[in-house]
Amino acid sequence: MKKTLYYMAFCLVAIAGSSCSKTDNYPAPSNTITGSTVDAGTGNTVQTEIGSRGTRVKLLETSYSSDPTPYYFQSMQDGTFNDTKIFAATYKVSVEGPFVPLVQTDNIGNVTSDQSQTITIKGTSTVTTLNFKVEPFLRVDWVGQPVFNADSTVTVQFKITRGTANANYQQDITNINLYVSNTKYDGDNNYDPRYSNLVSYSGTDGTSLIGQTITLTTTGGALPQQDVYFRIGARINARLDEYNYSTPVSIKYP
Amino acid sequence: MKRYIYILLTILAVCGSACRKINIPPPNIIQNPDVFSNTAGIQAYMARLYSQLPIEDFRYSPQRGLNFFWIISPTPATTGEALSRDQTNSMQENFGGWNWDIWGGSYTVIHDCDYFIETLPTYAKDFTPAQVNAWLGEAYFVRGMTYFALVKRFGGVPIVNKTLQYTVGSDPGTLKVPRSSEKAVWDQVASDFDFAIANLPAVNADYGDGSRANKYVAAAFKSRAMLYAGSIAKYNTATLFDGSQNQLCGIPASAAAGYFQQAVDAAKTLDGVYSLYLKAWSATDKAAQYQNFVNLFSDATSPESIFVREYQYPNSVHGYDAYNVPRQLIGPNGYSSEVNPTLNFVEMFDGIPKNANGTIQYLDGTGHYVLYNNTMDLFANAEPRLRASVILPGDAFKGQNIEIRRAIYTGASAGGISPLLPAGSKSQYPSTNLVQSANAGQTAFTLPDGTTMNPAGASGIFTGDQTCAISGFSVRKWLDPNLATSQVLENNEAQTWVEMRYAEVLLNRAEAAYELGDGTNITDAFNIINQIRSRAGAIPLASPGVMTIDTIRKERRKELAFENKTYWDLRRWRIFDKEQNGTIYRVLMPFYSSTAGKYFFDARTDERNDVYTYDPKWYYEQIPGGAISKSPNLIQNPGY
Repeated sequence: MKKTLYYMAFCLVAIAGSSCSKTDNYPAPSNTITGSTVDAGTGNTVQTEIGSRGTRVKLLETSYSSDPTPYYFQSMQDGTFNDTKIFAATYKVSVEGPFVPLVQTDNIGNVTSDQSQTITIKGTSTVTTLNFKVEPFLRVDWVGQPVFNADSTVTVQFKITRGTANANYQQDITNINLYVSNTKYDGDNNYDPRYSNLVSYSGTDGTSLIGQTITLTTTGGALPQQDVYFRIGARINARLDEYNYSTPVSIKYP
Repeated sequence: MKRYIYILLTILAVCGSACRKINIPPPNIIQNPDVFSNTAGIQAYMARLYSQLPIEDFRYSPQRGLNFFWIISPTPATTGEALSRDQTNSMQENFGGWNWDIWGGSYTVIHDCDYFIETLPTYAKDFTPAQVNAWLGEAYFVRGMTYFALVKRFGGVPIVNKTLQYTVGSDPGTLKVPRSSEKAVWDQVASDFDFAIANLPAVNADYGDGSRANKYVAAAFKSRAMLYAGSIAKYNTATLFDGSQNQLCGIPASAAAGYFQQAVDAAKTLDGVYSLYLKAWSATDKAAQYQNFVNLFSDATSPESIFVREYQYPNSVHGYDAYNVPRQLIGPNGYSSEVNPTLNFVEMFDGIPKNANGTIQYLDGTGHYVLYNNTMDLFANAEPRLRASVILPGDAFKGQNIEIRRAIYTGASAGGISPLLPAGSKSQYPSTNLVQSANAGQTAFTLPDGTTMNPAGASGIFTGDQTCAISGFSVRKWLDPNLATSQVLENNEAQTWVEMRYAEVLLNRAEAAYELGDGTNITDAFNIINQIRSRAGAIPLASPGVMTIDTIRKERRKELAFENKTYWDLRRWRIFDKEQNGTIYRVLMPFYSSTAGKYFFDARTDERNDVYTYDPKWYYEQIPGGAISKSPNLIQNPGY
């Protein structure tokens, strides 16, 4: 009787053990794609928003299908990106965001230009660096430093210029916003509505400010005594109406 | 031994006789003849099709989808019509949350329609040709409605007009139907409705009460759908193509006029069949106009109701009153005050004092608050339709005055009371000179004359607990004034939902006609808007020349408010992202000045600082990932 039990136990262990060994025989993805989205005109990375309305990297794994389901990962807010869990394969890579699309189509859907980059990743733990030169819809640059006013509000100055001469992306500016936040992850999806100054424009009112020094002051009275970051966002009605951003800046509460 | 032989023979006999009849239809599975050869079977089939008809009724919210009982993130709180404690920002519909499978669910309904359309003709001999045509018309109607529900969310979707059969060994690739162009799907909606219009009778022979389709119901929905398609063609900017130049998102602008014309034509067929509800109306009596607008939602014999969804306790119920009664009339299982109309919405109406820029006037010429004996004094001349849609502070409902007060102001009032906050401030009210309540358990405040008064009204506004009129208003539309408070419960109500009423058909026609824009059409639009306005008790427009497209849109938003229509209108006009662009909606806070013994109002942005920002990519919803995994031919919409 005891012997039978031992046999049975042995069999169970053998079955369990052999079944376990085959759960996953494919090595975990260990390759890295890193790089940045760079303004073709200035060489600076293109500032963007954290989250789903910011720049994202699009991978088309063409190893097995000419028309695969795309895989996306988000860029960081400063325009750099990094994904360390990429399988070895052939990819067609592009970026999507507040800039002239790398893959352009005409009005009936034919691809007219395609600046995607095709890469082949082999082996494990490799690092592939990709830089995409793009033309942002708008460039937002600070003019001087934010100024702390006597009433504890803050005034900033900046300039907006067009980043592209492409005739399809010369729409009017619809919004110029000064975002105030207590983290540097400052943008249209993360700001303090009490102090941020949001300005909408209709017609060519916003467009007429291009190239000029624009001055905006925080609203809602004195800023609270805490870390505070400022960022300018501006947009035109193009693509998915994403914002172009300045770099975030902080000032010390005096 | 003999015994064994007998047993063996018996077994053989039993087995042998059993074998003869093995080829019979399984009696526990319903077969086609059970359903399609008798009216009871057809009725059961129809009952299911109609119960799955995708309409945004009492049981819809963007957060939890169709046919869900729990409506605490109500649709009006996503559109700017209202604020709710449980819905604090813009949102796209939450497919996949809770039990909502919009993609699979809709294609199940389409399959059921296709199956009905393919099978019923086989059994046509059991019925009269009129019956068969009418039922086929209903199946086409339901299918058209379902494609409409898909195309308004996703743009072009697969068109599947026959049941797909898989035979073992065949190529499953043929089942992976790709998306059609958006225009093709709108044309499919139009053709399904056209079939229904051609085949349905003027009155549904099975149910003539508007709960099942007739030809005019199909025409009314056709006017809604074609207006939608025309608006997309005219206002949409996002585009998406597949590899063969099919435009999956967007319609060429050249198609707009054709769709608007179809909307006008479909709407005109209802002329003289339905009419605006005027049973209690009087041209000179605002109270009668108010009562008339209230009654139109509950009168089962209303000539304005075209298509309704009926409920029945306990099989099919909702809880509209439980979620939405003012706080002081709260039902036994709680909730209340989920829909609190914004001041932005209230300011669209006539009859309230306004500044030159259209905002409500609550300050006098010297910059001090205007004082009132009663909170309703500000609204003494308000448009009757406003009162029938919104409970204003102090208005009567269920025999009570609905008391809405933010706080008691104890500061000096001699020489006038200056605004509590600078104009445009988004800060909290300063607590000096204000006596407020955190929740409904209030401590009475003793006024200078020795009488006592609670700091906040019985229906709010409370600073800690948001189960109250957080905007200063509470919703009135749809509430049942005769429902006893003990019956104001979730899952307990059977009030009928009016999905399509003649006022909407008129407004569809006016808008489409105005978009077509020649002289006759504009005059037609003008006459319609004035019909709607005079029934509402609003001031009629002076001439067609003062009308803009915004006049017509505003009229539509006022008339159809809280009917879950504005959400779709803002989408098809493609102005959701303009209206909700870092937007904080405005509220109107009534205060009582203890020293003056009078009330004053303060208009401000929502004290909670809830920001609404609508992402333009939401105009085309995300196709559920599960659907794409099953059929990789489906191309995802832009930005997802």
